[in-house]
Amino acid sequence: MEKKGDILTAVAGASSLIRDTMASKFGNKHPEWAWTNALLADYFETARQAKESGRPLAWVNFCTIGEIFWAMDIVPLVIDVMTGVVAMALPGGAIKYIDLAEQHIPDHICSNNKTCVGAALAGDLPMPDMIVHQSAPCDSNLATFPVIAECFGSSYFCIDVPYWRNEAGFEYVAGEIKRLISWLEDKTGRKLDMDRLKQVMAYSNLAHEYILKINQLREAIPCPYSSIETISEYAVVLALAGKPELVDYLRRRYELTKGRVERGEGHLSRDQEKIRLAWIYGAPAFDFTIFSWLERQYGAVSVANMNNNFIIRPVEDISDLNKIARGLATKLVEMPMGRECGGPWENYVDAMIDLCRRSKADAAIFAGHVACKHNWAIAKLVKDRIYDELRIPTLIFEMDVYDPRIASSENIKAKFDEFFGAFFE
Amino acid sequence: MSALEELVGLTRDLTNPAVQDWKAKKRKIVGHFCSYVPEEMLYAANVLPYRVRAPHCAETTLADVYMSHFNCSFVRSCLQFVYEGKYNFLDGFVFTNSCDHTRRLYDVMRETGVGKPFMHFLSVPHKVSVQSVAYYRDEISKFKENIENSFGVEISEKNLKEAIQVYNETRHLLRRLYELRQEKAPPLTGEESLSILLAGTAIPRDQYNELLKRLLEELSRKKGISDYKARLMIAGGGCDNPDYYGAMEELGGLIVTDSLCFGSRYFWEPVELGDDLLLSLAKAYLSRPSCANMADKVAERSEFVKEMAERSKADGVVFQRMRYCDLWGGQLLHLENRLKEANIPLLALEREYRLDDVGRLRTRVQAFLERIGR
Repeated sequence: MEKKGDILTAVAGASSLIRDTMASKFGNKHPEWAWTNALLADYFETARQAKESGRPLAWVNFCTIGEIFWAMDIVPLVIDVMTGVVAMALPGGAIKYIDLAEQHIPDHICSNNKTCVGAALAGDLPMPDMIVHQSAPCDSNLATFPVIAECFGSSYFCIDVPYWRNEAGFEYVAGEIKRLISWLEDKTGRKLDMDRLKQVMAYSNLAHEYILKINQLREAIPCPYSSIETISEYAVVLALAGKPELVDYLRRRYELTKGRVERGEGHLSRDQEKIRLAWIYGAPAFDFTIFSWLERQYGAVSVANMNNNFIIRPVEDISDLNKIARGLATKLVEMPMGRECGGPWENYVDAMIDLCRRSKADAAIFAGHVACKHNWAIAKLVKDRIYDELRIPTLIFEMDVYDPRIASSENIKAKFDEFFGAFFE
Repeated sequence: MSALEELVGLTRDLTNPAVQDWKAKKRKIVGHFCSYVPEEMLYAANVLPYRVRAPHCAETTLADVYMSHFNCSFVRSCLQFVYEGKYNFLDGFVFTNSCDHTRRLYDVMRETGVGKPFMHFLSVPHKVSVQSVAYYRDEISKFKENIENSFGVEISEKNLKEAIQVYNETRHLLRRLYELRQEKAPPLTGEESLSILLAGTAIPRDQYNELLKRLLEELSRKKGISDYKARLMIAGGGCDNPDYYGAMEELGGLIVTDSLCFGSRYFWEPVELGDDLLLSLAKAYLSRPSCANMADKVAERSEFVKEMAERSKADGVVFQRMRYCDLWGGQLLHLENRLKEANIPLLALEREYRLDDVGRLRTRVQAFLERIGR
């Protein structure tokens, strides 16, 4: 019988195990393969210990900015990062939590949210002091986070993000961020220390400078990143926004990648790299080995992924709270997936055409998470537009990021077999 | 013809004599999909607001070319009607971000060449605060400007104020109607009530008010319905199909109230007139009993259902939502707890837009009625 409330211990343990396995198996040749899991292990451990170390714990979603929380010594647990590790690395994945949640909420709600609801219902996930998320990009978030907060007694704040991405919208979001700060001060009794926030913002800015430089390097042929790294890096950028550990990771990553590109080295060699894929939606978190299979089987490198497509510019002026809030409002709206999936479809298709173009993709992959109604509604439009603009095909298939019962690994591989057979043989 | 017959008759087809007359006079009609659209603004511009539906939509083959089967069948049915040309009588559309399905209609219609010259998108905030009301006020202001520019009209303060008053009169009349439904022997079935509500979404509001006044007069003399097994309340997402109600009422349930956007939530609170009419509209629309897209109103929504059920002495609540409606699906978790605390039985149903699965519906409702029946 598992001990209640130990999901954070489990994901911290799983991340540590992956880190150690990577280090022992590939440490000599690829020490970087252990880096992200090392960071995640520490991050989950920090979240697990938050309450006993006297720090408030906040659940946040993938489009929420971590900087404010770290600056106030509140631990922001990005739920999506946690559920991703649950699906990927825990025995049985997220299935038991999904099944439990479906006893109370519909099966078509996002399995990320269902994992969270199920874990809360099971008592395996300690309830946080507060839940904070932004209203974009999907109904599933809106449908579950406030309800969990009400049902389980957590404080709740929604950062409302308008449909339109214009000056009025950014100003409104900047106001929301300032109201969030006041709300956090009220809930925690902690006053925001401006010097601390500026320090956090300096780290955040440095991180985004590195990310922009790394993005450029990743455009190289052959691709200097492995496919799995391309997607898994997303988790640490989300989890550790504003932390020096992230800056340190990105600096090492940048130097390593720069050296590789200068030497003309890729994860696969120029000869081995035959097909470049841009994942314009979703990825099977329950089985990242599919990415390695694509490399081995077809020389298909996943060079880009919508989720890890951070094209956020550093906040230029961090001299006062108003300017920081305005800068963070831009960042918040431009967080991957929030940027693409909220607002009119042009936000999405333009960004994905740009991503495919920059990454010199031979094909786009729309791994359609079945819960994402907003993007399924425009999948065909996107496929057609990408073809019109870039003359590359798009593979569209149904799957669930967290639940292999919707489309198993074998099922997904079969889709690729068919796709490559049709377009690349 | 009685007012009741006239109102019910108005919902049989997409158009009706009032719509045809409106078009014959070369006046504009604008369709919308959501109860958060301040119809008063269109009405003040002498444009007929029309709530888009797809009654008796038999198939969605054209819509399914673009939208997926993960999109709700209401949205796909509406899109099908647009592709079939059934909404050619409309001069424009208004969209909102009320849910992921409807907001994408705006994209798909524009991109597939079935948009209209007037295509307006209102960004509705997802929470209620001083700031969100101010934001929505500005959105309504842009809406006003777009109507004025697109249709070459000026919406004066006077016209807008009159429009709000006309709509407030509707709200007042509908509340009176709902009060009658609370009686021990209500004069209307739920099916009839929904038809009456739907009629208001498709005819000029002044005509509708006159019909409602006549109806209330008629109902004051009508013998109420007392041979029912149980009093039911309907809650959840938008439901615009009187036959759905009819299927439940054939089994002996009598629907006496609701918490729906085609029902009480649409009209429950009046627009309080202030110095700034746009602000009055923004405040009223955001503060009224909410849709599940309002993030910070979970408890209030459940409370509204509970209060409405208690006020109408409902024996049970039928919570229904469309398949793939996440927003109302999430609310269910809270609502079932709240109603359990209040000792109000709950039946949760998932449905498609087209009423195909009547057998299953009847079985579920029958079992529920046996559980709660008097």
